[in-house]
Amino acid sequence: MNIAQLLNGLALGSLLMILSSGLAMIYGLRGVMNFAHGALYMSGAYLAYTVTNHVSFWAALIVCPLALAVIGAVLELVFFRHLQTRSHIEVGLITFGLALIIERIIGIIWGPHTLPVPAPDVLNGTSNVFGTAYPTYRLFILAIAVVMAAALVFWLRVSDTGLHIRAASQDGETSAILGINVDRVSLTVVCLGAALAGLAGTLAAPYFSVQPGMGMAILINVLIVVVVGGVGSLGGAMAAGMALGIVQTVGAVWLPNLAALLPYIALVAVLAWRPTGFAGKRV
Amino acid sequence: MTVEAPLLLSDDPLAPTPSRRLKLGISPRGVAIGAVVAVVAAVAGLAVPSIVNDLYWMGILVNGLLLAFMSLSVGFMAKHLGLISLGQTAFFGGSAYLVCIATSSWEWSPYQAVAFAILGTTAMALAMGVLVVRATGIGFMMLTLAMGQAIYQVVIQEWARDTTGSFDGVAANIGDQTFLGMGVSDLLDPTVFWNLGWIVLVAVTYLLWVAGRSRFGVILEGTRENTERMRFSGYNTFLPRLAAFVFSGFVAAVGGALYGLNSGYVSPELLNFLKAGDGIIAAIVGGLGVLLGPFVGAFLYVYAQAEFNNSGNLYLYTGIASVLVLVFLPGGIVGTISTLSRRLWSSRTGRKPQA
Repeated sequence: MNIAQLLNGLALGSLLMILSSGLAMIYGLRGVMNFAHGALYMSGAYLAYTVTNHVSFWAALIVCPLALAVIGAVLELVFFRHLQTRSHIEVGLITFGLALIIERIIGIIWGPHTLPVPAPDVLNGTSNVFGTAYPTYRLFILAIAVVMAAALVFWLRVSDTGLHIRAASQDGETSAILGINVDRVSLTVVCLGAALAGLAGTLAAPYFSVQPGMGMAILINVLIVVVVGGVGSLGGAMAAGMALGIVQTVGAVWLPNLAALLPYIALVAVLAWRPTGFAGKRV
Repeated sequence: MTVEAPLLLSDDPLAPTPSRRLKLGISPRGVAIGAVVAVVAAVAGLAVPSIVNDLYWMGILVNGLLLAFMSLSVGFMAKHLGLISLGQTAFFGGSAYLVCIATSSWEWSPYQAVAFAILGTTAMALAMGVLVVRATGIGFMMLTLAMGQAIYQVVIQEWARDTTGSFDGVAANIGDQTFLGMGVSDLLDPTVFWNLGWIVLVAVTYLLWVAGRSRFGVILEGTRENTERMRFSGYNTFLPRLAAFVFSGFVAAVGGALYGLNSGYVSPELLNFLKAGDGIIAAIVGGLGVLLGPFVGAFLYVYAQAEFNNSGNLYLYTGIASVLVLVFLPGGIVGTISTLSRRLWSSRTGRKPQA
């Protein structure tokens, strides 16, 4: 196996890691599997296309997560908050309906074509990694993902809000009794999760090009990552995301016939062995 | 459904425990009445082609009929197990694929092909069921999603092209053979095919109704409400769940075999995630709590698709409809109607509605 393939796996794993950490946090707090996460990622990528064309990629890197955070706020205030007494599966199916709506609206605005997004000039070349020339932009994705993951974990461990989020994820009712405003915590988490999806979309735009099927395609992988990692566990989701990215990319080289099946095999194997996933404690 | 309390308390502490089996579920009389209703519905449905008398709308009705098999199979599990399967396409599409592959590549007769497709797919449901029915809630959704997607991925692989035709799909080849007296042109003609499809659909719905109201159905609902307590009460909770999963797979497989005969062609779209979404949304829009909900939902869904498809925003409207129904009519359309009519009935007679 050469280094370039491993790095490709790490780059894909980085995107899955960013996406699945947002999904896992929302799931942990609201108990809802957000089927619209792929559509949020896709919105981020399409917004990045427009912002990059009109301003610059660096602006997109800031604007898109913020715009997606606003969509996340709508999602929380209009749906999750009002429907928290409903069964979580029902709310999950509502997000599936929302995904269909968002993806079609994107189709109406940007059209059905594949759109290229250029990476900024600084990141366009290749870098030398242990003697292998490798596209700088993919290293950039990896760097952002590592920084993001570290910052997120640090923030959850150290800040008061992080403490509240961890408490509310573990037991919403008890933390509400202890004076934590669970609705406000949830707003923060859903906005953050959506913003992370926007960030992943923006980062993915120059890597893969932007196209209408991208949301559904990545959604299934991200769902698998979150379940394999252990539902509601952030660390598990991050590790599983990175692992799946590597397994899929390396598998495509070693077992080209089976590569597409690897995520499903991994899921069935992990759930047969540990029904709550790697790091999960709850079902 | 009647649940009689067991005779556990006896005056004499030394008296032998009563061995009478707890009586659960529908009486034979109820089964017979249901059968009469089903036969009437089946016969009445045969008049549909002459009433509609329009090839385009008959085509849409047949699409609704075929989708009803999938939404019924989703609805049965949702109602009795409280589980949503995202992978029923594996059975519906799998069975349709087997019909087309068996009649074309292996040159089997349509009878052999249909029997093989239904049995083979049901066996597949059994194998998958063993893996997935222990899971609950989101785990079950993900496992069924994974297995549906795994089948899709296998079918579109280049190395499977000789069998599945990859993205090109497979055409059935019945030649000049007939299925129940219908040749290829009859099977493709929705006005003729309707009769076969409708009778099978009513029969399957009747079977689901009996299963749901039988002792088996009552045990399933007990397991759904509290698995631990059922296990504690001495019931095996794994086998009934597995049986329900396999039965639901069987229903989807029957629908898929009919689809293969009717369309004479299958493509991977039949197996993908959006197709699973069709079945689920149809079931939800109709109502998951009522047996007839998914049945009605499938026809409504296909009708709405036909009305909205012209503008190309099919999935936009599908999404809006499913969100609106889920937010405002959590029981689905049929569920809401039955709740309303029960309320109306009770306000007229002054009696409290029965839950």
